Amino acid sequence: MSESDKEGKEVGRRNFMKMTIVGIGGLITAAFGIPAVAYVMGPALKQSVGEWIQLGSVTKVETGIPTLFKTVIQTQTGWITTDEEFSVYVLTEDGQNYVAMSNVCTHLGCRVRWVADQNGFFCPCHNGAFAKDGTVTGGPPPRPLDRFESKVENDILFVKRG
Amino acid sequence: MLANLGDWLNDRFGWRGIWEAIFLRKVPHVNWFYTLGSASLFVAINQAITGILLTLYYVPTPDHAYDSVVYITTQLPFGWLIRGLHHWGASAMVVLVVLHLLRVFFYGAYKFPREATWMTGVILLIVVIGFGFTGYLLPWDQRAYWATTVGTRIAGVAPYVGDFLLKIARGGPELSAVTLARFFGTHIWVLPTTLALLVVIHLYLVIRVGISAVPAKDE
Repeated sequence: MSESDKEGKEVGRRNFMKMTIVGIGGLITAAFGIPAVAYVMGPALKQSVGEWIQLGSVTKVETGIPTLFKTVIQTQTGWITTDEEFSVYVLTEDGQNYVAMSNVCTHLGCRVRWVADQNGFFCPCHNGAFAKDGTVTGGPPPRPLDRFESKVENDILFVKRG
Repeated sequence: MLANLGDWLNDRFGWRGIWEAIFLRKVPHVNWFYTLGSASLFVAINQAITGILLTLYYVPTPDHAYDSVVYITTQLPFGWLIRGLHHWGASAMVVLVVLHLLRVFFYGAYKFPREATWMTGVILLIVVIGFGFTGYLLPWDQRAYWATTVGTRIAGVAPYVGDFLLKIARGGPELSAVTLARFFGTHIWVLPTTLALLVVIHLYLVIRVGISAVPAKDE
């Protein structure tokens, strides 16, 4: 075996070791990294299933005036089950078709309330204003109040929470 | 391009000198028993990574600790893996550092000029046992509760100061929310900072004075 061959072989072994170390190191990094990312993102990726929530009797809704329905629903966050107040404004113009609107301001999530004198919804946080059908009439909100799918069964109003 | 960047950084940080001192230093011809220290370090890094991930969900209070652990193990993607690695890594850690200590002891590697390496190593063993003791309580299940009841009671039998030590360990006469909180704080703040500091000193000494050769048969 010539001198240069021997040298070539030595370099070959050194490079092989380098590549092996980098390769195994990469595998270990992936073995930690991929589960870690999935673990951190887990709760964010959970799909919520829409469920029908019973609000109450439709007879409570006055024609042409948004009526507030409050109900307590159970929510599961992480390992904790909590009772959460769930509020929906319901509007009907003809006593047959009902529009169920969220009371969450579309700007940054504060709760809006119906102010009868001014015939509109107002958000106290940044003066967002909405008409009774939920369209924006002033302030920073980027879109109308969110609407829920709704149904009436035996004069009881239900909305679907997604 | 990449080589230029490496040169630029090296001119400012001098990282190549550090790299050579750590990874390209001369070592005697040794055997597989000499990998136990590196193996301990590897498992310690595993414990750090998985431990940090566990704290993202774990809550150290009596009304949430067990439920949050169950949530991690059964509801989160790879939660069982992260917790499993931390759980089994803890046992592996104790086994590895004890074997590492035995190797150093039987090879006489603790002798001059490596006494300080040995002493920091012994403190590291105590820190690792501290990790095991405090971590054992955190799932807050029956086994954890009674193991800690017994473990702290052992401190209680020390003459004169025993009762005082027991109350310090428990944060009161009984196991409580205070016990859980202080075990958690010790487990994730006090011990990791101590461990990191000692590991840095230990490794600095390993690099500075080098490792001992395998003793010859006639020695």
